[in-house]
Amino acid sequence: MRLDRVRPWLTSLYPRAWRERYAVEFDMLLEQCLHSPLDVVDVFLGALDAHLQLLSGENLSWRLMNMQNKLRTTLLMVFAAFIGFIVAGFSLVGMADDSPMIPLMKTNPALAAAWTTIQIGSAVALLAVVVGGIPLALTVVQGALAGGRRGRGLLLVPVVSFLVLVLYLVFLFLVGSGRIQIEGVVKVVGPGAFPAGNRLMMEGLMLVFILGAIASTLAVWKAVSAADSEQETFHAFGRALNVKIYSFAFVPAVIATISMLVMLLATLAWGWLSFSALPQVFAGNFGPWGTSTQIWYIGILVVMAACSGGAVFGLRRGRPRRSQ
Amino acid sequence: MEPSDFGRFSDPALLILASLAGGEKHGYAMMEDIEAMSGVHLGPGTLYGALARLEQSGLIQALPADERRRPYQLTAQGKAFLRQSLASLKNFVSMGLMRLGA
Repeated sequence: MRLDRVRPWLTSLYPRAWRERYAVEFDMLLEQCLHSPLDVVDVFLGALDAHLQLLSGENLSWRLMNMQNKLRTTLLMVFAAFIGFIVAGFSLVGMADDSPMIPLMKTNPALAAAWTTIQIGSAVALLAVVVGGIPLALTVVQGALAGGRRGRGLLLVPVVSFLVLVLYLVFLFLVGSGRIQIEGVVKVVGPGAFPAGNRLMMEGLMLVFILGAIASTLAVWKAVSAADSEQETFHAFGRALNVKIYSFAFVPAVIATISMLVMLLATLAWGWLSFSALPQVFAGNFGPWGTSTQIWYIGILVVMAACSGGAVFGLRRGRPRRSQ
Repeated sequence: MEPSDFGRFSDPALLILASLAGGEKHGYAMMEDIEAMSGVHLGPGTLYGALARLEQSGLIQALPADERRRPYQLTAQGKAFLRQSLASLKNFVSMGLMRLGA
């Protein structure tokens, strides 16, 4: 029997709550000790025992410990949804930039109100994520610095992604100002001067931003998942503050999710009002990315809806466990 | 609490406690230590069945994970429980040997 083949499947035999608490270390153990079919039988019996324990309705510690993992997953889901929402939000800004929507917003109060709602929503969501995430971020950074190379490597991913983005922006500036000459790319002299070469470079910026956001989110997810502490003591202004980092971040996560829902509705209203006031606004390829199209707008709405839905699902998943 | 409270996991639980009495260990290190100490091979399912119960009873506690391995250590309650269990076993062994006339 090829035991390596059955190993990943063995852990899945256990109840979900048990797996959330023990799966990582149990997988590691199986990698090292699964030598004979008797060990496989032993795992079968262990899984059966765990299921029977669950059915017996005992107040199991691993069921209670599972709450912390659930809450952490909830927060990470909201964080990932927020990052996805930011990407969609920047796409919306790129779509409106240099388009007839900008002058239209100056004369149409309803349109201006929808845009302002999006801006306020993004500021509130960002503030909520930053405030809720500070204790968690400090804990993760401390743990990563004190821990192994893998943890430090994960923390470097957002930093490197940001540096790559900055370098690309500098490169764009140098090309745009004519200091670096590239065939097919012209010096930018004003809005609307975006031939194919320039647009390709701007699309490169979008690609760098999206890939950086995905890589950073995955790295943060991994780093936070590896963090063990539920409670941390922080020293500030000569006082020691005990913070339950996951519980602390729950209310900001709710605020960020509500902000995302409000922004989604405002984006919907903004698009509807823009189209009603100026139907050709989605027909042209305006702006540096040439993305003022209906397809692009619908794509932004779909991403925003998916991210908001993901955040709501995450909160619903974490809420009952939190109150247990 | 009695060792019998752990049901079919009472012997593995005692072996784990005895292993952790020598210092904190993760799962595989416990398996190897127990095998070297007593000649008993604990299967992975049995080991984690007993570990979960011991943790639930507060006799051992999990320490922060080292990569994917998580070490465990005895609690004060665990030490007291192990001491009491070993003393009972010692009496039992003495009594058995005495009856055999050894």
